[in-house]
Amino acid sequence: MKIKSLIIPVTLLSIALVSCNDSSDVQKESDEIHDSIIVNPDSMGISEEDSDVSYNLPSALQIAYVFRKSGATYNSTLPNSVKNAVNYNVSDYKRATNFGVYSTDLAYCLFNKKHQETKDYLKATKEVGVFLGLNQAFESDNFAQRFEKNISNEDSLIKIVSSIELKTDLLFEQNKKKHIAVLTFVGAWTESLYLANEAYVKEKNKKILASLLEQLSFTDVVLKALNHHKTSEPEIESLISEIEKIRSGYESIASIKAANEKNEDFAFDVLSVSDDELKNISQSIQLVRQNIVK
Amino acid sequence: MSFQTGDVLCDAKVLKEKAKDMLDPYKYDSSELTKIIYKKKESVKEVEVPLFIGEKYRFCFNMEAVPKAVEIQIYNKDKDSKNRKLLFSSKDAGLDKKEIQFEISKARHVFVDYIVPPVEAGSYMGCAVFAVGYK
Repeated sequence: MKIKSLIIPVTLLSIALVSCNDSSDVQKESDEIHDSIIVNPDSMGISEEDSDVSYNLPSALQIAYVFRKSGATYNSTLPNSVKNAVNYNVSDYKRATNFGVYSTDLAYCLFNKKHQETKDYLKATKEVGVFLGLNQAFESDNFAQRFEKNISNEDSLIKIVSSIELKTDLLFEQNKKKHIAVLTFVGAWTESLYLANEAYVKEKNKKILASLLEQLSFTDVVLKALNHHKTSEPEIESLISEIEKIRSGYESIASIKAANEKNEDFAFDVLSVSDDELKNISQSIQLVRQNIVK
Repeated sequence: MSFQTGDVLCDAKVLKEKAKDMLDPYKYDSSELTKIIYKKKESVKEVEVPLFIGEKYRFCFNMEAVPKAVEIQIYNKDKDSKNRKLLFSSKDAGLDKKEIQFEISKARHVFVDYIVPPVEAGSYMGCAVFAVGYK
């Protein structure tokens, strides 16, 4: 099976680009996308042209939106320190994965109504985003001030984020940085797994467990995408090995195995998982996350 | 509308924004542009879309930049799987429709298949776009 492409929405970059106010802000931001981004298939590369399968992965914002429903208590010690942002301008791999990490941390703070922390993670996300060459997006329309002004208005913020999310999708498309987009998603997903895992270890809440398991169920598609790009950056191969351990642990859970045999679209909140089954997965998640943020 | 090799085939910004606009009241999550190449034999382009089982989703397709009718089929399993279930076909609404919507909930993923019809000669290209929204 050949793989074509993977478009990753980089939601939280979006937050960094503009703030929210009302629907007119959304329109204004849309209008500020100066140039249409034209995709010419002849310039998309042989691998894309020949491939017949692609993946459309969820945004960091949606993952955080769903995780919020688990009722996990906010823990300020879990997100990656914003002070680390300066350390990541060393390789595309580091820039992309940690851009994803900060995107998730930003969403985590946002949905927990931690306004100052949200602003701090906005800054960190922007900093790493600029490292990635997304300056154009960050230079638009005093986003920081507008973001701060409207930070308590979650609904408006989500609308703005969605609008800017599309803009960042297009920038990745235009710049032919599919593998960067994949790594950005992997960073966001890993951080979300980490937050869910740590929350479950502490709270032993069944809803958090269900959310963790559902995020783990994305492991397979994450690996497919990474395998397609494994020669793009030298660190990807070891990242794949680490995530394969997560998949192995997930697929070894007895209740997951049984549910998969019965019905593919099972609900995660009815599954039971022992601490022993989770132990290895938990360690693997911590290792992947540690290697990304170090 | 038809395209020749090397022509500018699609404006990703315009196509995606139109698809996004159709999502309301769903929240925009992501979008996908798929290059469609017409060959002498029928071909299939597939996009896997993982979903959260507790969310409701709307898919909005924009087929304006597809020069020759392409059928959209949505399945619960990938094209190499046996016994997969067809959840949606754009044939029911008419293949000439340029804006198409599909909604689904309680699913862990769907597979969007573009059925690209054969062409006798020449090189045709186009772009199919969809946006995904959730609530």
